Amino acid sequence: MNRFKLIDAGRILLLVFAVAAVALPLLWVALASFKTPADLNQPGILWFTPTMANWTEVLSSDIFAAVGRSVLVATITVAIAVVVGSMGAYSIARFSTGGSLSRFGILAAQVLPPAVLVFPFLSVAYMLRLNGTLVPIIFSHLSFVVPVVTWFLIGFFAAVPKEIEEQARVDGFGRFDTFRLVVLPQVLPGIGAAAIFGFTLSWNDMFYGLILSPSNSTILPVAIAGFNTFRGVELGPMSVAILIAIIPVVIASFFVQKRLVQGISGGAVKG
Amino acid sequence: MARVTFDNVVKKYGDNTIVKGLDLELPDGAFTVLVGPSGCGKTTTLRMIAGLEPVTSGSIRIGDKDVTKLEPKDRDIAMVFQNYALYPHLTVRENLAFPLRAIHVNRAEALARAEAVATTMGLSELLDRKPKDLSGGQQQRVAIGRAIIREPSVFLFDEPLSNLDAKLRVEMRTELLQMQRRLGITSLFVTHDQEEAMTLSDFIVVMRDGEVAQQGKPKDVYDKPNSTFVASFVGSPKMNLLEGTFSAGKFVSESGLTLAVAGVAAGTKILGVRPDDIVLEVGGKSASRGRVGVIELLGPRAIVQVDAAGHSLTAVVEASRMDGIVEGAEVGVSIRPGSHHLFDIATGLRV
Repeated sequence: MNRFKLIDAGRILLLVFAVAAVALPLLWVALASFKTPADLNQPGILWFTPTMANWTEVLSSDIFAAVGRSVLVATITVAIAVVVGSMGAYSIARFSTGGSLSRFGILAAQVLPPAVLVFPFLSVAYMLRLNGTLVPIIFSHLSFVVPVVTWFLIGFFAAVPKEIEEQARVDGFGRFDTFRLVVLPQVLPGIGAAAIFGFTLSWNDMFYGLILSPSNSTILPVAIAGFNTFRGVELGPMSVAILIAIIPVVIASFFVQKRLVQGISGGAVKG
Repeated sequence: MARVTFDNVVKKYGDNTIVKGLDLELPDGAFTVLVGPSGCGKTTTLRMIAGLEPVTSGSIRIGDKDVTKLEPKDRDIAMVFQNYALYPHLTVRENLAFPLRAIHVNRAEALARAEAVATTMGLSELLDRKPKDLSGGQQQRVAIGRAIIREPSVFLFDEPLSNLDAKLRVEMRTELLQMQRRLGITSLFVTHDQEEAMTLSDFIVVMRDGEVAQQGKPKDVYDKPNSTFVASFVGSPKMNLLEGTFSAGKFVSESGLTLAVAGVAAGTKILGVRPDDIVLEVGGKSASRGRVGVIELLGPRAIVQVDAAGHSLTAVVEASRMDGIVEGAEVGVSIRPGSHHLFDIATGLRV
């Protein structure tokens, strides 16, 4: 009896620690967004007079233009990644395209530091006269969102019974209609999760955005970095911007957490 | 409606030949059952008709049309899989109507036809359910309904009854047979269950190791099996097979069991006797004696194991003649005159 209580206590302690590890920094950022610069110089203080100055400053700046651009980049990236990734994942899951290596090999490019790719992207963008637009950023994001979305979906496609595809073919449908009408509906939850996953990857990227985005119209993470000015870091307004960047991600992860685990473990375990 | 013709069809997986030069004709409008032990190539044969497995060489025709290289969708067939393969995201109604979508029947008409099929299959109450909310038997009905909705020229069944419990299996068997009779569509049914094969078929094809061992009407195959393989595969319980020598109206097995068999030329052969043709007599004057082993009562009949001169014989005895036949009893063993089958020892073929 006591032993079980001890184990329960251990569990609760572990949970408290895990929650604290995630929640405290968020809480700190949330509090910081209401602090004056003077209060921010004493990170430890809990009792302070909240101010809305940071919020009014940021909300009246052009931060929402950056949010809009980030949404645009992430949406287009994900739309392409889901179309390409679902077909790729289906092909790998059903026909072992690329042999047994492709299932994980597809992620191999993730090992490269993005710095390796950024220069080619930049020079191609110049050659095509696309520098100064969001197009190079979208392409750079595709370089990591497509492989991840593909890898993520392999397990979902592998779980679709082969018989229902054969049944559809016997019922009079060609291969593409079979994929569209019978296979895709089975993996829609997975595709939804992959889309949100891909969206956050694109949404959170700063490196490519920093180098490839037009100087006067950048995406959100770069805009946040912009609060690090020559006068020092403007922590208060930056905290507001960080919150604006985090909130959609937190909400999205809440909705897809179950599928997220399924996708990650499905892609990894199914042999 | 069409007959299906196989012309020297070969199927290889790598170096492994699964189907070895199959020549076969499924009669138009008949219910043909393809039966054989697992791994004999029967499912592969079915899937080649469906177009789900490419043919290595040879050709397959449905009616007069060579379908060897056609996609499944262009073959005008319908198939019922062992696990029913219902579309999980569609309701029963949509599942039934789905094949009509492929031939661009308009939605209203497709759904109306789905309802009509549902009525004949006894599924009207379930039209709005999803497959996961159906029992095995109901799923089976939906799968069959979906196969008949388009009225194809050939029906293919891949062991569709094997996932059902015994009682339901017998019910569905009857239903399937009635449906096929009503529609008169050429059907091929694959099973490893010889009893199912015997009861369902107009025409039976016994396969072994990628070849046809025997084909014909079920009664002919049962009455005149052309090899020891078919003899022991078709019929339940299995035919008794004994090696021995015939001379002067008598058969003497290697270990000395003597049975009276008239009209057989002298020589060494395999004697085959159906369990129903073995006669057991309590007391009796038969020269051959045996001891009764295990008895399985089936109601009207009983399956009796008899040990006679080192052979374990299987006999089927009418319940009314079971008096005195109990475990351990000594009985006289003989065979019903004219009921014997003879096979060559070297080749196993019927003599």
